[in-house]
Amino acid sequence: MTRLSVLALLMATDGLAAEPLKLWHAYRGGEEQAIEAAVKRYTDKTGVQVELLSVPYDAFSSKLTSAIPHDAGPDVFIFAHERLRQFHRLKVIAPSTGRLDRSKYIKSTVDALEVDGELYGYPLSLKTLALFLNTELVPDAPTTTDDWLKALERTTDPSKPRFGLAYAAGDFYLHAPFVFGFGAKLFDDTTGRATFDTPGMAKSLAFVKGLQDRGFLPQEVSGALVKSLFNEGRAAMVISGPWFTGEIDQAVKYRIVPLPTVTETGLPLMPFLGVEAALVSARTRQPEQAQALAEFLSLGEATALRVNPGRQIPAELAAYELTEVQQDPVISAFKDVAARAVPTPNTLEMAKVWEPMKLALRGVLQGEVAPEAAGQLAERRYRALNRDRPPDAPKLPYAIALVVALAGFAFWRWTKRGPAQAFARRYPEAARGLAWVSPAAVGIFVLIVIPFVWGISLAFFHHDAGEYSFVGLANFTDILTSKGYRVTEPLSFWFTLAVTIAWTFVNVTLHVSIGLALAILLKDPLLKLRGVYRVLLIVPWAVPNYITALMWKGMFHRQFGAINGLLSALGLEPVSWFTQFSTAFAANVITNTWLGFPFMMVVSLGALQSIPQDLYEAAEVDGASKWTQFRRITLPLLKPALLPSVILGCVWTFNMFNIIYLVSGGEPGGATDILVSEAYRWAFQRNEQYGFAAAYAVLIFFVLLGWTRLTRRLTGPEAA
Amino acid sequence: MKRSQLTVALVHVVLVLACVASLYPVLWVVKMALSPAQSLSLSLNPFPQEVTFDHFREVLLSHDSQGRWLFGRQLLASVVVSGATTLVGLSLAVTAAYALSRFRFPGKDAGMQTLLVTQMFPATLMLVPLFAILQRLSLLDSWGGLVLVYSTTSLPFCVWMLKGYFDTIPRELEEAAVMDGASAWQVFWKVVLPLARPALAVTALFSFMTAWNEFILSATLINDAARFTLPVALQQYVGEWKTEWGHFAAGALVVSAPVMALFFALQKYLVGGLTAGAVKG
Amino acid sequence: MTVLATPSAVNRGLERRVRRKGTPAETGSCTLPRVSGLRLVGIKKSYGDNPVVKGVDLDVAPGEFLVMVGPSGCGKTTLLRVIAGLEQVDAGQVLMDGQDLTPLPPRDRDVGMVFQSYALYPHMSVKQNLAFGLELRQVPPAEIDARVAEAAKMLELSHLLDRKPKALSGGQRQRVAMGRVIVRRPRLFLFDEPLSNLDTALRVQMRGELARLHRQLGVTMIYVTHDQVEAMTLATRVAVFNKGVLQQVGPPLELYHRPANTFVATFLGSPSMNLFEARRDGSRFVGQGFALEARGEVTGEVKLGLRPQDLSVAADGPFSGEVEAVERLGFDGYAFLKTAAGPLAARFDGSVPVDVGQQVKVKPLGDVVHLFSADGAKALWHPEARR
Repeated sequence: MTRLSVLALLMATDGLAAEPLKLWHAYRGGEEQAIEAAVKRYTDKTGVQVELLSVPYDAFSSKLTSAIPHDAGPDVFIFAHERLRQFHRLKVIAPSTGRLDRSKYIKSTVDALEVDGELYGYPLSLKTLALFLNTELVPDAPTTTDDWLKALERTTDPSKPRFGLAYAAGDFYLHAPFVFGFGAKLFDDTTGRATFDTPGMAKSLAFVKGLQDRGFLPQEVSGALVKSLFNEGRAAMVISGPWFTGEIDQAVKYRIVPLPTVTETGLPLMPFLGVEAALVSARTRQPEQAQALAEFLSLGEATALRVNPGRQIPAELAAYELTEVQQDPVISAFKDVAARAVPTPNTLEMAKVWEPMKLALRGVLQGEVAPEAAGQLAERRYRALNRDRPPDAPKLPYAIALVVALAGFAFWRWTKRGPAQAFARRYPEAARGLAWVSPAAVGIFVLIVIPFVWGISLAFFHHDAGEYSFVGLANFTDILTSKGYRVTEPLSFWFTLAVTIAWTFVNVTLHVSIGLALAILLKDPLLKLRGVYRVLLIVPWAVPNYITALMWKGMFHRQFGAINGLLSALGLEPVSWFTQFSTAFAANVITNTWLGFPFMMVVSLGALQSIPQDLYEAAEVDGASKWTQFRRITLPLLKPALLPSVILGCVWTFNMFNIIYLVSGGEPGGATDILVSEAYRWAFQRNEQYGFAAAYAVLIFFVLLGWTRLTRRLTGPEAA
Repeated sequence: MKRSQLTVALVHVVLVLACVASLYPVLWVVKMALSPAQSLSLSLNPFPQEVTFDHFREVLLSHDSQGRWLFGRQLLASVVVSGATTLVGLSLAVTAAYALSRFRFPGKDAGMQTLLVTQMFPATLMLVPLFAILQRLSLLDSWGGLVLVYSTTSLPFCVWMLKGYFDTIPRELEEAAVMDGASAWQVFWKVVLPLARPALAVTALFSFMTAWNEFILSATLINDAARFTLPVALQQYVGEWKTEWGHFAAGALVVSAPVMALFFALQKYLVGGLTAGAVKG
Repeated sequence: MTVLATPSAVNRGLERRVRRKGTPAETGSCTLPRVSGLRLVGIKKSYGDNPVVKGVDLDVAPGEFLVMVGPSGCGKTTLLRVIAGLEQVDAGQVLMDGQDLTPLPPRDRDVGMVFQSYALYPHMSVKQNLAFGLELRQVPPAEIDARVAEAAKMLELSHLLDRKPKALSGGQRQRVAMGRVIVRRPRLFLFDEPLSNLDTALRVQMRGELARLHRQLGVTMIYVTHDQVEAMTLATRVAVFNKGVLQQVGPPLELYHRPANTFVATFLGSPSMNLFEARRDGSRFVGQGFALEARGEVTGEVKLGLRPQDLSVAADGPFSGEVEAVERLGFDGYAFLKTAAGPLAARFDGSVPVDVGQQVKVKPLGDVVHLFSADGAKALWHPEARR
């Protein structure tokens, strides 16, 4: 008996030890090889098995925050330190205080890992920004902005075209060095609140706008463009980070230097410092081993591997003693760069800065906002996004209201019940019918209805870092009264609703008219190549829509997109698509039209085929023109066939998230966002305000519900 | 009635232009996939100047550190998950749609309304509750969980489509089969289903596409790179700091190819299947 | 009735003993042949609050060809579906050779049905259509082939076996629909207006084939139609329905000559029987604008029925009126008059000039008057010669 239980205990602990540690990351290429090699060393050394998982970056954060609280997450994961405080508040990370030896790492990298006096995780590598020089064009590093401007002047050549500088200027991460260089503070020293409307900020914006206006810097630069420009010798300098070194062609001779000092202030352009850390999950079942693994990854051999093949900038001090590192011009250069960098604050306040700053930055670069006014713009957006937590609402009245509503509904159903009849007579096939539907019904109930009701109920709560508090209808009243911003601003529900309606209307009209027109052309059975045309015209439907969206996004590019190429070929002015509401909206519509017309074409084809040919012959005899035939025969007979598809098409377009999110991304300033993408932003990009987002979703739901009811009533019962 | 040559020529011109417009962006992806560069190709010309199959080779032959052939396994995952989704989704949809079309039972109208209504709630916001439910069902990190979620999310559309189509099948055919001695199940299996083939094809295609193209859920639920579906692998080429466009384009073509092939194979059903359902839908 | 059993008609229905047992006829003054093959007892069926069949009792003898007629909505099709098992009854029983079929599903009832639309399976060839019922019953393949071949030969479908229904003409489809029932050799054949989708010439031809088939197979057939010509030509007995009630059942000529009520009287025969309100006045029946010699002992208010065929346009007669329309069928025809008592149809022969607008007189050809109760629900008197 006792021996048996001892055996069982042994087996249990044995089983526990045998369970591999799970390590999640978002690395690719050399960085991935480095982490794989490091983990292998660890296993060889300790015998502890480690399972690695590389997650697409886009899905990483949501995967972590969903999985860890449900004990389905990793034991260790690698993430940038900016999200540390959020992870801390969601209680997904465990502290490393006491284990971590501060003296072994570059000081700023450890500082970055501190939250409320506790340390979390182990710093692995750092990421920051430096100036990449094409040494053939710029042999000497500019040390001050004055030098820099001269070099830019010299190297810019519109005839090639060649730019002096290329960097993703619309991204606040890349603009931050200028903010600090011009002496602005991002946070108020005493309150810790973000500040935008400062002279330094205005100067920094004016400086960058000047670079663009003088042609030193191309407009609407994306990461992809920076890379191709630099590799083709069409950009003399680039601001970017260590990841960029992997993208430079071997043929290009380059050097990495710290960003220059602002002549006016004497301050260097100080970039943010990002620290990638191995974080230990708070829910790991093997905290000891997990801590050991995370620490191992941050030191010694793992560091060496991170340098080569990982090409990362290590956080461990000892690494810089290695000859390999000392001889490496890139890594050693970044150590100097890092010395000037400011660790990105891991505060929640920092998370609230990005969107307002992006708005201000793009507004200035696109010439819509003066640099001096941009701070105010950012300030307003900041205030709008950071809703105060609504006061807790008493639960009792709502519970009573719910009960009364349910009872009322039941009573209403009861009054509308049919004539009293025996159940078996009224539904002779009830048992069979229910048996046939039940599998689907169970599936839909569990995986659609429950999440749906759950989602609806979230709308009555305020979410803050994993804590939900009941606020009653406050979310709804805030949305509907557009609290904190004018109704005419893009953030307002009403503005977005109007955009969404316009978006749906324009799209569906285009889908139907183009689809119908093509269907009419394709209907003619005598048409040659009919089958070929039909196949080719269905192609857009078959391409996954996120691929479509990315394709079109590229085609709308300001300088190098095919659409502007076409316009210039036709002798027209190229259009900066995403700087104005009308063109950004048009870009979205064009993309979505391309995507959506084949569906309507196919539906129309089928509907057209169902119209008897002799009706046209009769009309012909009656002397009706083609147009009259179309209007008086085709359209009315098509209506019942097309209407359900049109209704469905409207619902889908209304909620067409991918296109908006990936093509215009809401630019300019969120004006082209539709309700769904707005809801998504509240849920995932603005401090996880799930409750607020859910309230949006509920409103979307009611708008659509009301609309379908209305169309059904207007078009009569034949449509239902 | 004879049409003039001019009209015919005009029709062809319009159709050719439409085809160019629908193919151009796709050619562009082909170009990115075939060009040696890893960057966005930004020019008017949709044909590559320099052709290399490196991107395809790298995407197709990707292995992980344990020497597992990632692409092969992910393809398998995609095929299994999408295939199972199609099968499960279709069998659930077909039985439910048949019952909704043929039998009277309490809650039927409410059920139909619910189906339409679920299409109106933004799916992106269901992730959080879904995860919790799947965990309770012990379906995290399993293809089974994915299959269930995909097949139920595509269900409402499928049921509506199929119900509309079933409504157009004359009841007398079923009664004839009953008189011929068929059981309820045989009527359904041997008479109704073969007759609903166009709608089944469209519905199957729709379910398959839902599963084949999705990546957020797949990336969130699955914890092993070798069991990710292909779109997740595709998404991995889009990084935080840089995007491997060549790989992405090659992968995009590989991912789209089966869907396109299915589309073309099922084209002849598409027209009839979609419309008949829609007319009565 | 004739029962010609061919070698192919190894019909279980035929071999069964006929049991005789009396049931009260619902209506009609005639006596029914009380034999049982199929027996319907008190069948009631309603859809929602709408009663469609209001209690029908009916016996069908083995080998009989029973035609159920009536205007649309009279419940005849519903009754047929009740027999088939496609509808559940609210009350009553369906008995076949004494066995209660009511609780049985269609496939256990051993009945075959030809549908109005034929209901051929569009995805199967003719051969598969014919074989489907046998396959479901797991008949050995060899026997399926033999039976299909036999039925195809009988119906002249042998050269069409591999075609899909889409590629068949209307008449061919009709024959496949019948073949599908024939191969199964059920105890009872049911037809639901099987000829209504054919053109006139084909209909006449198929009528002939149906009659031949019945002779050949000798099985019990129940046939629903709203076409009285089909009823009269095909039936061994006709059952007339109206508003869910069986009005009368009997051999066709009996119904024609001795209708049980004014509904049956007007439903059968073309043009319809003329009906006039009249009252016994001594030895005569007097109505609006006419007086006729009376026979029998019927007194009081009556409905007086005269078949157009029994009336003739003549120089003199009890009825007079203006000709409103004329139907010439060759050497004779029908004249439609407006008389003081109401509209009237009467025969005329070629020798008498009849034109629209003309005032003419009409006389009955001998003892031809039918008498019904004033509400029309009951026949009181039929002409002597037809009794």
